[in-house]
Amino acid sequence: MPNVEVSKKDLQKLIGRKLDAKQLEEAIEFAKGEIELTEGDKIVIDEKDTNRPDLLSAEGIAREIRGRIGIEKGIPKYKIKKSDVSVIVDKNVAKIRPYIAAAVVKNVKISEEMLVQMINSQEKICGTFGRRRKEAAIGIYDWNKLKQPMHYRAYDPKAKKFIPLEYQIEMDLEEILLEHPKGKEFKHLLEGFSKYPIFEDLIGTVASMPPIINSQITGKVAMDTKEFLVEVTGYKQEIVNTTLNVIVSAMAERGFAVYSVKIKYPDKTIVTPDFSPKKINVAIEDFKKISGLELSTKQITVLLQKARYDVKINGKKLECKYPSYRPDILHPVDVIEDAIISYGYNKIKPLPLKLATVGEELSEEKLKRAVEEICIGIGLQGILTFTMSSKAKQAAMIGLDEKKEQFVEIANPVSENYVVFRKRIYPELLEFLAKNKHASFPQKIFEAGKVTELKKASETGVSEKNKICIVLSGKGAEFTVIKGVLDAVADNLGEKYSLKENTEPALENGKSSAVDIAGRNGFFGEVKKSVLQKFGLEQQTVVLEIEI
Amino acid sequence: MDLKQKVKSLSSIESKALKALYSEKLKKMDEIAKKSGLPIDSIRRAIEWLKEKNLAEIVEEKQEQIVLTAIGKSSLRKALPERLFVEALQALEGKGSLEQVYKKSQLNRPEFNVAMGLAKRNAWISIQGGKETILEFTGLEKDFIEGNYPLEKTMKKIKEALELNKEEKKALQEALKRGLAEKTVNVEKKARLTADGKKAIEMLGTVKQRAYNVHGAVPKILVGKKQAYEQFLEKARAKLVAMGFKEMKSPMITQEFYNFDALFQPQGHPARQWTDTYQLKHPKTGKLPGKKFVEQVKAAHENGWKTESKGWEYKWSEEIAKKVMPAAHGTAHSARQMLNGVESPGKYFAIARCYRPDVVDASHLIEFNQLEGIIVGNELNFRHLLGMLKEFAIKFGNATEVKFFPDYYPFTEPSVQLSAKHPVLDWIELGGAGIFRPELTLPLNVKETVLAWGIGIDRLAMLTLGIKDIRKLFSQDLTWLRNARQVVE
Repeated sequence: MPNVEVSKKDLQKLIGRKLDAKQLEEAIEFAKGEIELTEGDKIVIDEKDTNRPDLLSAEGIAREIRGRIGIEKGIPKYKIKKSDVSVIVDKNVAKIRPYIAAAVVKNVKISEEMLVQMINSQEKICGTFGRRRKEAAIGIYDWNKLKQPMHYRAYDPKAKKFIPLEYQIEMDLEEILLEHPKGKEFKHLLEGFSKYPIFEDLIGTVASMPPIINSQITGKVAMDTKEFLVEVTGYKQEIVNTTLNVIVSAMAERGFAVYSVKIKYPDKTIVTPDFSPKKINVAIEDFKKISGLELSTKQITVLLQKARYDVKINGKKLECKYPSYRPDILHPVDVIEDAIISYGYNKIKPLPLKLATVGEELSEEKLKRAVEEICIGIGLQGILTFTMSSKAKQAAMIGLDEKKEQFVEIANPVSENYVVFRKRIYPELLEFLAKNKHASFPQKIFEAGKVTELKKASETGVSEKNKICIVLSGKGAEFTVIKGVLDAVADNLGEKYSLKENTEPALENGKSSAVDIAGRNGFFGEVKKSVLQKFGLEQQTVVLEIEI
Repeated sequence: MDLKQKVKSLSSIESKALKALYSEKLKKMDEIAKKSGLPIDSIRRAIEWLKEKNLAEIVEEKQEQIVLTAIGKSSLRKALPERLFVEALQALEGKGSLEQVYKKSQLNRPEFNVAMGLAKRNAWISIQGGKETILEFTGLEKDFIEGNYPLEKTMKKIKEALELNKEEKKALQEALKRGLAEKTVNVEKKARLTADGKKAIEMLGTVKQRAYNVHGAVPKILVGKKQAYEQFLEKARAKLVAMGFKEMKSPMITQEFYNFDALFQPQGHPARQWTDTYQLKHPKTGKLPGKKFVEQVKAAHENGWKTESKGWEYKWSEEIAKKVMPAAHGTAHSARQMLNGVESPGKYFAIARCYRPDVVDASHLIEFNQLEGIIVGNELNFRHLLGMLKEFAIKFGNATEVKFFPDYYPFTEPSVQLSAKHPVLDWIELGGAGIFRPELTLPLNVKETVLAWGIGIDRLAMLTLGIKDIRKLFSQDLTWLRNARQVVE
């Protein structure tokens, strides 16, 4: 959920109406935002909809609010002036990063608030909708420093040099990928290509290396910049167009003048930005079916106009046109939600749900609880530990070979304490005891929970089982006692068990055994002194662990 | 109160005092204390209580007593003036002038005069007048020098409160006269059993008595119990079963297909990236369900299939869907349940262990639980969803009021966030919900409307258990767990 930071004054100005704190909070809810923090003039909004890049700026949020609170209705109208600016796309980018869209913006009046919104929203749009620059990378340039036509083409890594943003020295393209922080962060997007894309002007002045970095000289917008060139690259024309529309329409919201650019591909020419609305048909009856609200067609129309749709009735359907900056509308349900939001969630009367169904818990939960009840009857304290663990605990410390032991293992661990999924519970409980040496003895604990093992034949390649683990520690924690516990568990489950030779290396030979209770395997016995030492335990300790 | 009642009401020290009194013969307090083994103060208190209950009688005995005065005590400790006088004359070899003896004795003048008078009366010395007064032993002083002096013996006996013989009684008169001893009156409390008390002793063995020192600490009993958070989850499970929900399987490890693809989450989505979800080194892949489901899900992603949707318009990869991962949310299990078949009407839930790579702190765990579920049926709409959420808010959050906010989940439309007014904590975010998108339900062959919901169960557990640090849900503190109160609701 991206956070959008705005200036309260700027937002009020963009909305065009002064709202008090409560009104503003409610208005922001219409834009699927929640105020996280208010600090003086600063408001931090948690924008929940990661599919609405148009709501990642103060301009976009204000535009949405203006519709919902009735200041404007329908699709916002922006004028696009024609220009003779063109971008010439070389065929050698076709396999690397084929599509581009661009616009020129004039009459720019930069304010600090505007600059902050532009930079932050650009980053957030690339991060979410742009799929971390993969689907959309944005560049904004000082248009007065460039000479048209612009060229979008690929160069050999050593064949081009420029000063990347925030640097003082010229670097070639390979150096940028290897040394510049943004190069390192995004070089995977150009992996496997022998040439890298460059966006440059008529005389070869570099504007940027998409999707990595802008030029320090032309690709840095400052307080005195008068005209912008905006450009978006990616893999799909529709996505780069939508992204450009989001950025440029936000600028138009501040009254800047938008000029079109011709994109000349080897085989065709298109003109961007294209603000023509998109269209979707929604069956009128579906509004009622999904919302449960008795609404007339007229009412639905008003609700959608508030959500900035233009609506036309076409028989049993509504022909809904929506702004070109919205990529999130895939299905009629998306339009229906917009109507319900305009209606107001808290104005809806909830209906009681009357369905005659019979509840039931999983059978393994029933068995687990039966075993837990036996443990409680014995007087044991229940414990809950994590199912993720370390290799040391699950192998080396209990006498197993860390290298040979096979685990369900994490590829991207955050901490070495949580690298594998546990196969056994008792190492976790021994660690628990080690943290509680100051508590009164005897310490008698249990945990019923899941363990995993690799199992090729299973659907996920993993077998998951419930186990009960009991650990007793202190004076008198001896073999006979833990065998008594085993008897109590087996008797109370009405099962017989058979004993086999112990194979659990952490348990003392001759004072331990493997056990089979009606096909459920386990082991019990006294824990070796050497193992206790590894966990930092001094008191005698016995363990019982069986599948349930 | 009859006698039996009285015996019943006796405290531990009262019973012991009663037994120590034993007979109707008067006994001193220290005697009783010694016999009962209780401190004297406790006995005094107990006897008073017994008197109130008419089981004992207290008699105050006045007794004349002779004790040493302060001068008497100090004289006994150092020496009597007469002895200092005799010792001084001894030092002068039995003869010397009055002034010589006076100086040697280091007595003051009145003491010296008394001492000389006594020595004269006892005929230990002779006094010869003249220019100088000369004092000289007579030979009768020997007995005294050897320590045979009745006054001294008497004073020692007084100090030790021993009985005096006839000769010593005479010496006592002198001691009193000289202010070395004095007479005092001592009041001593003695106690004896009353007739009822005597009967009460006989009943002590047969009548059950009240608990002893009721305020005293007793040894702690550690009861066997479930871990606090598990108790809470069990209550939640019981509530859902009572509401007609069936529990779904919730494996820890799942295919991405269920965690993402079947939920219409596009494969390039940032939420599917390395930094947002755990990925596995072993094993890497699992099996996909039947071909029909895979084809339908693929088509929904690529072009919307028959759902009226545009789809996400990209090339869907089976290889990505096959990958296995630790479940990142409980909704994965709803997808699996729908694919395996759901009843209509039907209600399902899962308490799912979920995993996300995060830095563990007071509000984040890498392993946590989610309570999620679905409701399947015809004729279900958004108002039913709100109705169900309201019911949840009351059942799980003790809510007095609810509010709904627009929200976003990739798998539901419309989506809603539930806030509840808690009687103590004011407004809290309780969970999220929505109606599953057709792009999700139809490819899984579910034609009915499916309402989906999730409750922030970990947060609720923290509120119920009164803890501020989420790590405490998996507490590693045995003492805290032993002391945690039982979860009732």
